[in-house]
Amino acid sequence: MTSLIIVSVLAVAVLYLGLFKYKTALLPVSVTGLLAAAAMAAMDWDLEKMYFSEMMLFDNYAVAFSILLILTTLLIFGLSRNYFEKISNNVAEYYALMLFALAGGVVMVSFHNLAMLFIGIEILSISLYVLAGIRRKDPASNEASLKYFLMGAFATGFLLFGTALIYGATGSFNLAAIASSGAFESALFRAGVLLMMVGLSFKVSVAPFHTWTPDVYEGSPGLIAMFMATVVKTAGFAAFLRLFLMAFAEASAFWAITVAILCILTLFAGNITAVFQDRFKRLLAWSSVSHAGYLLLAILAVGFSASSAVLVYTIAYSLASVAAFGIMILVSRARGNDHLDSFNGLARTNPFLAFTLTLAVCSLAGIPLTAGFFGKFYVFKVALAQGYTWLVVLAVINAMIGIYYYFKVIIAMYMKENANAVAIQLNPGFRLVLSIVVFLIFLFGIFPGLIANIL
Amino acid sequence: MIEKSWLIPLLPFLGFLINGLGRSRISKKTAAVIGSASVLCSFILSVLVFFELQGSAETGVTVKLFEWIRAGSLQIPFSFYVDPLTCVWLLVITGIGFLIHVYSAGYMHADQGFGKFFSYLNLFVFFMLILVMGAGYAIMFIGWEGVGLCSYLLIGFWYKNDAYNDAAKKAFIMNRIGDLGFLLGIFLLIATFGSTDFTEIFPQAAGFQSGDGRLLAITLCLFIGAVGKSAQLPLYTWLPDAMAGPTPVSALIHAATMVTAGVYMVARSNILYALSPVAMTVVAITGLATAIFAALIALTQNDIKKVLAYSTVSQLGYMFLALGVGAFTGAVFHVMTHAFFKALLFLGAGSVIHALHDQQDMRRMGGLKKAMPVTFLTMLLATLAISGIPPFSGFFSKDEILAHAFSRDPLLWVLGFAGALLTAFYMFRMLFLTFWGDFRGTAKEKQGIHESPASMTVPLILLAVLSVVGGFLGIPEVFARQAHLLGGFLAPVFAASQEVLPAMHVPHSTEWILMGISVLGVLVSIGMAWSLYVKKKRVPAEDTVQRSGLVAWSYHKFYVDELYQALIVRPLDALSGFFYRVMDKRFIDGIVNGVGSTILAFSSTLRLLQTGRIGSYLFYMVAGIILIFLLNYLIF
Repeated sequence: MTSLIIVSVLAVAVLYLGLFKYKTALLPVSVTGLLAAAAMAAMDWDLEKMYFSEMMLFDNYAVAFSILLILTTLLIFGLSRNYFEKISNNVAEYYALMLFALAGGVVMVSFHNLAMLFIGIEILSISLYVLAGIRRKDPASNEASLKYFLMGAFATGFLLFGTALIYGATGSFNLAAIASSGAFESALFRAGVLLMMVGLSFKVSVAPFHTWTPDVYEGSPGLIAMFMATVVKTAGFAAFLRLFLMAFAEASAFWAITVAILCILTLFAGNITAVFQDRFKRLLAWSSVSHAGYLLLAILAVGFSASSAVLVYTIAYSLASVAAFGIMILVSRARGNDHLDSFNGLARTNPFLAFTLTLAVCSLAGIPLTAGFFGKFYVFKVALAQGYTWLVVLAVINAMIGIYYYFKVIIAMYMKENANAVAIQLNPGFRLVLSIVVFLIFLFGIFPGLIANIL
Repeated sequence: MIEKSWLIPLLPFLGFLINGLGRSRISKKTAAVIGSASVLCSFILSVLVFFELQGSAETGVTVKLFEWIRAGSLQIPFSFYVDPLTCVWLLVITGIGFLIHVYSAGYMHADQGFGKFFSYLNLFVFFMLILVMGAGYAIMFIGWEGVGLCSYLLIGFWYKNDAYNDAAKKAFIMNRIGDLGFLLGIFLLIATFGSTDFTEIFPQAAGFQSGDGRLLAITLCLFIGAVGKSAQLPLYTWLPDAMAGPTPVSALIHAATMVTAGVYMVARSNILYALSPVAMTVVAITGLATAIFAALIALTQNDIKKVLAYSTVSQLGYMFLALGVGAFTGAVFHVMTHAFFKALLFLGAGSVIHALHDQQDMRRMGGLKKAMPVTFLTMLLATLAISGIPPFSGFFSKDEILAHAFSRDPLLWVLGFAGALLTAFYMFRMLFLTFWGDFRGTAKEKQGIHESPASMTVPLILLAVLSVVGGFLGIPEVFARQAHLLGGFLAPVFAASQEVLPAMHVPHSTEWILMGISVLGVLVSIGMAWSLYVKKKRVPAEDTVQRSGLVAWSYHKFYVDELYQALIVRPLDALSGFFYRVMDKRFIDGIVNGVGSTILAFSSTLRLLQTGRIGSYLFYMVAGIILIFLLNYLIF
């Protein structure tokens, strides 16, 4: 709880810093605040505290995902030095909005009441609508923002409608009360579950509600797209799983079929469309869709092993995405665009960047010795334990398709030449963040036990 | 000190890292000093370990380093086990290893890959030490594979020569066959005993019935591994080809240490073998057959290193004969003495080759006695030792083996004795052709003949001393009571199996007679070589000359390589060609490419759905929701 307060106060403080033009203080203050928030969150471990008449529950699940969200934001902030200054004068807004979004994310992973889930999602989403359009003079950015807002509003409608129906069926917003209401057979309840599923599916870009993803990612600034792919997706899935685990677990026989169908749709839509993309950012957007498909597999396996699997997967995915988006930003800034051809010859000019990106896409593709391998491994494992063998077979086929398009960038970097490529300059923040990411991808890829058993 | 014995392999490994990583920056002199000093330090530590072990009441000490593999109920810790058997090998590996490192500094001084060479040598010593120090079969296997890798790297050290690369590959592949057997053996051990640790397995095994089927399967599998690594019939063909490597490598890896790993493994597993009489017989017969077979080939070879290589195969055969008849101490003893004199012979041959600028053909040598006195004298001593002339070291170890063979079955002794006659003949043939008579090379070569530098001759002299006196470590009962120092030292290692096996019973009078016969026979054999190659000045015929009868068989190595080529390689080639053309090209590629193009076709269609218009996106959403509801309505 303290961490949530720190993040919120920090956001306001950053806004004030901007108001009084302390631009240089923005980053240090944010970083310090986030470190404090992460530390406070860690202190809540094993306490299982309820807050505000059971509105929020800080159990280990909430703590683990809060820390993950905060640390991922920290990594993104590490890359943001001199980034926002280039595209806007109001730098403080960025930090403040991202921190507000983070606060929304923390609420989303710790809610114990449907009202808090809704509030969390809205805090997160509204910040994002603004962030997507923050390049005010760029039409693409405006379009992204508007698209995201319109469709998001649409999806929120479904979410709220679903919440209302569930209240109607059970008479409560409280997760525990819903779980023990015994109203699982009523049509009202079932319709409510499906509608909430639709609303949440939109947030985590599950097909067929994913269509906003590539357009919004492409229009938004790179770091914001990175934030969406990592923090937002993690928070969304953590909320998704928390809701279905704590409130709807008893009715799993009912909703599992729909989740399985959405899972297949998402996997194929994401992976197959990604095959034809020739812009790296769009490719990553489609890959983010496909990762939502793998994560849905874990939701099918209700239980605490599912939490662990989702945690490992989101950690691996966030790390790899930070590296991939970060290098995409560097390359598109230095070479004009994020077309795959822009990566040609990167291995010769910037071996470190090429290596890091290789590791990142290997992790995204699920190659062993990287964290991403164990992400997929645990997700597949829990799905197999529930008897979804056929689904895992389909997922593995999709993972193989994934290797095809992920490796396109590796081929470009190592096997294609670019005669007039010059080395890209790295600032220390980038170097530090990318080194940390490389280390962690290897660490969790070799010792997955460090994170696999904490939940 | 024993608790710190992990330092012994660590030092050469550090040497490998320093020389390997800094090979473009470190000067040749520094590389040689680092490489040799690390092994010397290991040797000193090994001596300390030896004295501590001798002084302590314990028979073996386990040094646990860390948990390595834990899978279900199986636990494999990474730990070392130091007992007298390990100690003997430690001293041989680091002691002889150090001398050969020093020798290499002189021998390789003009080579471009000097630093690389020393880093590989250090790496080899590291793995060899892991092999003999491992506290279980799994750790031993790490070393086992590691020395195989180093052997491969060093045989193909001059990688620009394709023939050398082929030799390296051959060594690697032949060893893989053996390694498969070893691995199966390990799996069987795990299945039978639930562990790979010596201290877990051997006490359990001692409770088994003699002739137990599981033990038989384990011992035979392990022996296949030993056959590969120690170059026994039928997997020996890689060792003669391995002579492509630099001569110090032949001395260290392919004579003194690595090839004796198989002997070590069988000696280490003595209790398992003692309880499997069938396996013991297989070991003995394989060893004896190899000993004679290789000796027959060595009779007609003309490359000085090839003679020594076949001689090594043959001597390894004696060691396995010893193991097979239950003379475990004798086998270890022979490993030790053989390490002394065979390393010396290789290094001496290297010295000759070095002086003649890479000439290895004995038909182009001769009369080097005067020009290279140190090399000549040391090699003479080594040749006397290997031939079994008393009181040189080879006499004692070979006699111990033959005596045990006699007690098992006089026929074994007869065949072993015949092998010893052949050994004496081909060894002195080599010595006479090289050092006696007139020089048969070109005039230019003759001018360049010189004695090798001190860094090469000093190791030769030290090894010569060891070859002469090494035998006194194992003086048999017939000469003096309780004088077999090595046997006393090793007794605890073989105690359990000696209880199972029948004791050796050869009356002293018989043993005197056997010794007398073998010495006499060897002297006659040497005399024949003398009359042929010194008095009659016979020089072996050129390669182009057609040979006939047994000579042709021996000269062409009994056509074993050709046989393997026709029976195994050719059919395999044909089969793989078939799989490549039909299975891979048509079938598998067809599936893969078909899947790929299908997905691409899908992708190009599917991405058209992404129009960018919010209207159509919302349409998909609503359509999706309606379908979901419809579906759920239909199902529930």
